[in-house]
Amino acid sequence: MSRKRNNLLVAAVFIMIFIFIIVVGYADEFSKEDLERWQKEYMSVVETGRELWVSADLGTNGVSCAQCHPNAANTHPETYPKFQQQLGRVVALRDMINWCLQNPLEGEPLALDDPRLVAIEAYVTYERRGVPLEPGKH
Amino acid sequence: MKKFVFWLILIVCFFGLLGLMASDKPDKAAPLGLPSVSYPENNPQTPEKIALGDKLFNDKRFSDTGQVSCATCHDPAKAFTDSPLKVSEGIQGLTGTRNAPTVINSVYFESMFWDGRSPDLEDQALHPFVNPVEMGLKDHQPILDIVRSDPEYTEAFKTVFGKSGENITMTEVTQAIAAFERTKISGNSPFDRWYYGGETEALTPAQIRGFDLFINEGRCVSCHLIEQTQALFTDNRFHNVGVGINMIQNDIPELASEYIAAKLSAEEVDVKVLSDKRSSELGRFALTTGFDDLGSFKTPTLRNIAATAPYMHDGSVATLRDVVVHYNNGGVTNEGDPVNDFLSGGIRPLNLSDEQIDDLVAFMEALTSPEFADAVKTSEQK
Amino acid sequence: MTNRNISRRTFMKRMGALTAASSLPLSLVELSFADSHKNFMFAYISDAHIQHITGTKFVRNWDRGLIRAVAETNLLQPKPDFIVFGGDLAQLGTRPELDHGAELLSKLNYKTYCVMGEHDYYLDLGEYWSKLFGPQYYSWDHKGVHFIVLNSILTYDEWTHERWPTAEQRMLEMAGLDNPNGSPFMVGEEQRKWLAKDLEKVDKKTPIVLFSHSPIQKIYKGWNFWTEDAEEVQALLKPFNDATVVYGHVHQIQYNQIENISFHAVMATAWPWPYPQSYAQAESNLPKLTVPMNRADPFFERDATGWQFINLKTGRVTMDYNLYNNTNRTVAYNPKTGQPEDVDFQAADKIIPPQIHF
Repeated sequence: MSRKRNNLLVAAVFIMIFIFIIVVGYADEFSKEDLERWQKEYMSVVETGRELWVSADLGTNGVSCAQCHPNAANTHPETYPKFQQQLGRVVALRDMINWCLQNPLEGEPLALDDPRLVAIEAYVTYERRGVPLEPGKH
Repeated sequence: MKKFVFWLILIVCFFGLLGLMASDKPDKAAPLGLPSVSYPENNPQTPEKIALGDKLFNDKRFSDTGQVSCATCHDPAKAFTDSPLKVSEGIQGLTGTRNAPTVINSVYFESMFWDGRSPDLEDQALHPFVNPVEMGLKDHQPILDIVRSDPEYTEAFKTVFGKSGENITMTEVTQAIAAFERTKISGNSPFDRWYYGGETEALTPAQIRGFDLFINEGRCVSCHLIEQTQALFTDNRFHNVGVGINMIQNDIPELASEYIAAKLSAEEVDVKVLSDKRSSELGRFALTTGFDDLGSFKTPTLRNIAATAPYMHDGSVATLRDVVVHYNNGGVTNEGDPVNDFLSGGIRPLNLSDEQIDDLVAFMEALTSPEFADAVKTSEQK
Repeated sequence: MTNRNISRRTFMKRMGALTAASSLPLSLVELSFADSHKNFMFAYISDAHIQHITGTKFVRNWDRGLIRAVAETNLLQPKPDFIVFGGDLAQLGTRPELDHGAELLSKLNYKTYCVMGEHDYYLDLGEYWSKLFGPQYYSWDHKGVHFIVLNSILTYDEWTHERWPTAEQRMLEMAGLDNPNGSPFMVGEEQRKWLAKDLEKVDKKTPIVLFSHSPIQKIYKGWNFWTEDAEEVQALLKPFNDATVVYGHVHQIQYNQIENISFHAVMATAWPWPYPQSYAQAESNLPKLTVPMNRADPFFERDATGWQFINLKTGRVTMDYNLYNNTNRTVAYNPKTGQPEDVDFQAADKIIPPQIHF
C-alpha cells in the first residue's frame, strides 16, 4: 500500500472514533435532573386527571367518575383495545371514557386530542400501574 | 381408445362437479352482514324437507275454519308479517293482542315469541294451531289426520323422514316447518354493503349520520346489536321499553299476584296473553314471574324493519319515526308522561333534534334486503 | 352475537331456575317454625343516593333505582313484615335530597325502619334526618327476634367538629369514597355503652339482628369499608347463640362469618361499587367467603343494583338478592358448616368469576 493511502486510512479511523465518542457521549444520556423533571411533568397531568376524575362538572348531572370508580377501580385499562359491547366494535380506552361522559354523566364527549382526555387516561392507567397487559380481555 | 377413455373420464368428472354444485348445500355461506347459521343436529336441512315445510306453512286446512295458515299472518309478500295489521287476525277475524313478528332471520333467535316462551322454531310451530284466536283447533289431531291421509303428504313424509301412518307425529310436522323457516335469512342490505362490504356510496349522508346516532347518542346499538363482523340487530334479551305497560300500571299489583300464584305453563301463557290484553302487557313476567321481566319483551331484529309496520309487541307504534320519538321521550309516548316503574335501565331521554330523528329513521330504512324492497311499499302507512 | 340454538333442555332448565328464584317467597310459607320464634320475612332497600342537580331536577338514574325497588317490594308475595332502609338516602345530605327520598320511600306499603348513612349525616349531623325518620340508634323486638339499629358512620370528634371550615365542606370530604381526607367510621363509645345495656335484658338464646351502615368489620380502610371499633362491637355480640349483622355502604354482595356472628352486605339501588381487590395499588380483606357478584354493564343502569328480602328461619338470615339483568342469588346460613353460603354458587367448581360481564 502507498504511504499516502495508509495515512488517509489512519485519519479516517481517527475521525470515526472521534465522531463515535461525540455521538455516544452526548446523544443518549439523560441527566438525573431531566428524569426527575419529566416525571414531575407527567405526575402533574396525572393529578389533573385525578381532579377531573372527582369533578362534578364533566357531565351535566353532577355525577363524577369517582362515584362509581373509586381510585379508578374497575376501569381495567389493561384490557384495551377490546370489543366493547356498548359500542358494537373494538375501541380504545378513550372511546369508553367518552361513552361514560355521554351516558352515566349525561354530557358531551371530549375531542380525541383534548388534553383533558389524556389527563384522564394518565390517571386511570397510573392507578392501574403494574398490572400486565391483557388486550381484548372481556 | 386411450384418448376416448380419457375424454370420457373428463366429461364424467365435469358433470359430477356440476351436480355437486347444483345440490342445495344447506350450510352455504350466510348473506353479507350475517353470521353463519347453525342447524340443530336432530333436524338437518334437505331440499325435500324444506319443500314439505313450505307446503305445511301454507296449508289453510290446519285451522278450524279452513281459512288460516301460518302464511296468513306471516305472508311472504309482506316480509313474512301481516303488515299493516296492528295485531294479527285468526279464524273468523278474531284478533289477539300481539303484532306478528317476521319469520325472516328468526333462525338467529334464541327463543321464540315476544316473551320467549318457546325455545326453538320447532316448538313455536305447535302453539298457533291450538290457540283459540289463531287457528283455533282444539288439539293437533286434525293436522295429523290430514298429513297421514293426503297422498301428497304421505309421500313427502315417507321420502323426508321415512315415516308413514301413525309414525308421522307433530315432531315431523314441526321439524319440516322449522326447516323451511330456517331458509328465510336475508342480509346484504345497503347498510351491510356499506359497513361490511366497503361500498362507500351504498348509504346516503342522512343514513350515515343516522348510523352514527344509532351507535352513539341514540344508544340503540346496545340492544339492537351491530358487531364488528356481523349485525343481528337483536341481543336476544328481554327489555321493558315502556310500550303498553303504562296502561296497566295501576293493575300490576293485582295481576302480578295472580300470575305468581298461578304459575302458568308456556301453553297456558300462550292462550292467556293472546286473549287478555292486560295480561299481554305483563310481557315475559307472565311466563317467569320474575320481577326483572315485568313488562319486558324480546328485542326484535331491525332487518327489513321498514317493511313490517306497525311496531312493538302490540303494533301500537305506527311508524318508525314514532318509534324513535318514543325512545327519545325516555320510554313514553308523549313527552312528560310518567314513566312506568319497571322501565329497563337502558332507556332514558335522548334529547335528539328533529333532524337527528329523521336521520335515524333514514338509517333504519337502509336495513331492507333487496328481496324485500317491494314489501316496504305495501307496508307504508297512508 | 353467537348463534346458539340452545337445546330445549337447557331452555327449560333456565326457565326453571328463574321460576324457582321467584317462587322462593312462596316456599317460605312452608318452612317449619323453630325454637321460640316464628319464620318471617322482611325486605331491605339501601343506598339510594338521591342526588340533587338543581331546582326540581335529581339525577334520574338514582331516582329510577329507588322507584323500582319500592315498586317491586310492594309486589312481594308473601307480604313482608316490615322494610328496612339501610342508609345513604341522600347523596350530600341536603333537605331537597332527603325530602325527595322520603317521598319516594313513602310509597312503600309497609312500616319502614331507617338506618343512618354517612351521606345523610355529615351535612347537619343528622338533624334533618332525625326529624324525618326518628332516632339514630334504637332497638325493637319482633316475633322473638331482637333487632338493633346503630349509627355506625360516626368518626373522630376532631374530624367531625374542628377539621372543616363549613358543614358543606365536611359533607363533600366524607362523600368521596376514595378521598384521602376522609376519616374511618365507628360506632363510638356512647352507642357501645347503650348497646351493652340494651343487650343485658336479652336472653342469650334470642336471635339478634344488628342493622348498621358500615360493616362492623375491617375490610378496606381506603374506601371506608371499615368500622374502627369493630372488635369491641363484635365482643358485645359474642355471648349470643345467633347473631347477624346486616350492613350497607359497600354496594356489593359480601358475606362473612366471624366466630358466632354472620355478616351480610346488601345491594345499593343506585350504583354498584368495585370489589376492593380490583384496586391494584392497595391490599384489602374482602371477606373470604364472599362469592363476588357479576360486573355491571353500565348501559343498563340497574345492572348490579338491587334490593333484597330476608327470611329468618332458625334465627339466622337467608338473604335473597333481587338483582336486575342477572340471576337472583340467595345467601343463607348453613347450620352444618356454621357460615353463610351462596346456595347456588359457593362450591369451588361453581363460583362465578367476578369479571364475567363487561
